[in-house]
Amino acid sequence: MDKSAVEADTHALYRDHHGWLLGWLRRKLDGADVASDLAQDTFVRVLRRGHARRMPALREPRAYLTRIAQGLLVDHWRRSDLEQAWLQTLAALPEQHAPSPETRQIVLEALVRIDAALDTLKPAARSAFLMAQIDGLSCPQIAARLGVSLATAERYLAAGLRRCYALRFHE
Amino acid sequence: MNEPAGGAPTPRIVDEAIAWAVRVLYAAPDAQTRGAFERWLAADPRHGLAWRRVRGMADEFRGLPAGLAHDTLRTREALRQRRRKVAGGLGAALAAAGLSGWLACEYAPWQRLVADASTATGERRTLRLDDGSLVTLNTDSAISSRLSAQERRIDLLRGEIFVETGPDAGAPGRRPFVVATPQGRLQALGTRFVVRLDNGRTRVAVREGAVALQPDGGPTSVAGAGQEWSMDGAASRPAAPAGFEPAGWLDGVIVARKMPLADFLAELDRYRHGFLAADPRVAAQPVSGVYQLGDIDATLRFLARAQGLSLRYRTRYWITVAPGTA
Repeated sequence: MDKSAVEADTHALYRDHHGWLLGWLRRKLDGADVASDLAQDTFVRVLRRGHARRMPALREPRAYLTRIAQGLLVDHWRRSDLEQAWLQTLAALPEQHAPSPETRQIVLEALVRIDAALDTLKPAARSAFLMAQIDGLSCPQIAARLGVSLATAERYLAAGLRRCYALRFHE
Repeated sequence: MNEPAGGAPTPRIVDEAIAWAVRVLYAAPDAQTRGAFERWLAADPRHGLAWRRVRGMADEFRGLPAGLAHDTLRTREALRQRRRKVAGGLGAALAAAGLSGWLACEYAPWQRLVADASTATGERRTLRLDDGSLVTLNTDSAISSRLSAQERRIDLLRGEIFVETGPDAGAPGRRPFVVATPQGRLQALGTRFVVRLDNGRTRVAVREGAVALQPDGGPTSVAGAGQEWSMDGAASRPAAPAGFEPAGWLDGVIVARKMPLADFLAELDRYRHGFLAADPRVAAQPVSGVYQLGDIDATLRFLARAQGLSLRYRTRYWITVAPGTA
């Protein structure tokens, strides 16, 4: 399917279902401004997916749109929880130790990525991943701490990195 | 995203890059490993792209302030828990109480960033200072040290340390050895002792020799071998026994003597990421014995079996110790 055909299909999808999707998102979320952002993002994904492979069958366009939107909603909630947790943590710091706004943003982004990767890992791999990424422990230290072989600790850490890579580079 | 000619790395190349990262970035590789890695990197331009991506992720995570990152992930867990409870119509008060408790006690993680030496949760580390003194940091602790012409000084910023003062051989006269805490100064009088920051107080347990306690706003006292003292900003006095051997952690254990379960768990909690709580029905139950600090989850299982208790996992970080399932 060529590029212009994908764009034409997406455009038709947008024209027929954008209002409905927005309503669906508004019911899920309390804030209307976030809902319209997520609706927009949903169509951007549709467009990108269409370019990457064939446009999926559009027999059930609303089911297709809600599946994509649902994924974005989960990401949104995850992020806003983490953001709130980060702000609360910062609020508890003495003022002179508060990091700069730029650092705050960088740390938040990294935490969002780590948190997303943690979700799919087994408990032992999660511990290993946190020890490596947050506490800065080496693989041998992690193996000793968890009482597992070095090869196992390496496997845990690799699983976490692979998950991070997938989340980051294969949309 | 700019892709060089040759396109995106294949899944196999990504796996290889990750395997190299584990051996090169998260360990101390020997010359042979480094050589093999360099050859792999040069073998294919797609290796380079995969490697830059993986290393970029690792670099990003490395710069994270550890204390803040843990606190945030913990708080987030509590938020999620609270939302589930609200949604399920259960009491949110418990989660909210736990949350404010964390914020109140986990107050200074940023200290780790300004410290000369620090340990992560569960870690223990011994440092040799230039004067020959040994300082061992317990879990989640931070110090900075200053050796000047007038004195040898350690600032205890967070957590707990064990000090064995050295002979100070390099200096012309013997310089005093001082540990500074937010409440005052401790001057070693030829000695081995444990210092711990604990809820706005400094606790000192002297193993050998003696320590002079100088609160910022009060008179100096001397703690002798075998004694435990507590110091706030205004005064120092002998402390009520803590219910456990203060230097046990040096051997990787807690030696408890009729310690209330709630206190025992609060102590274990220092060595583990997450939140440990006692069900009110068993909070006062006395705990005695020797418990390993190396694997807290295993220690908890052992405790539950020995004391007829049960473990309730609320989240991956949050465990409540409750009466046994009778």
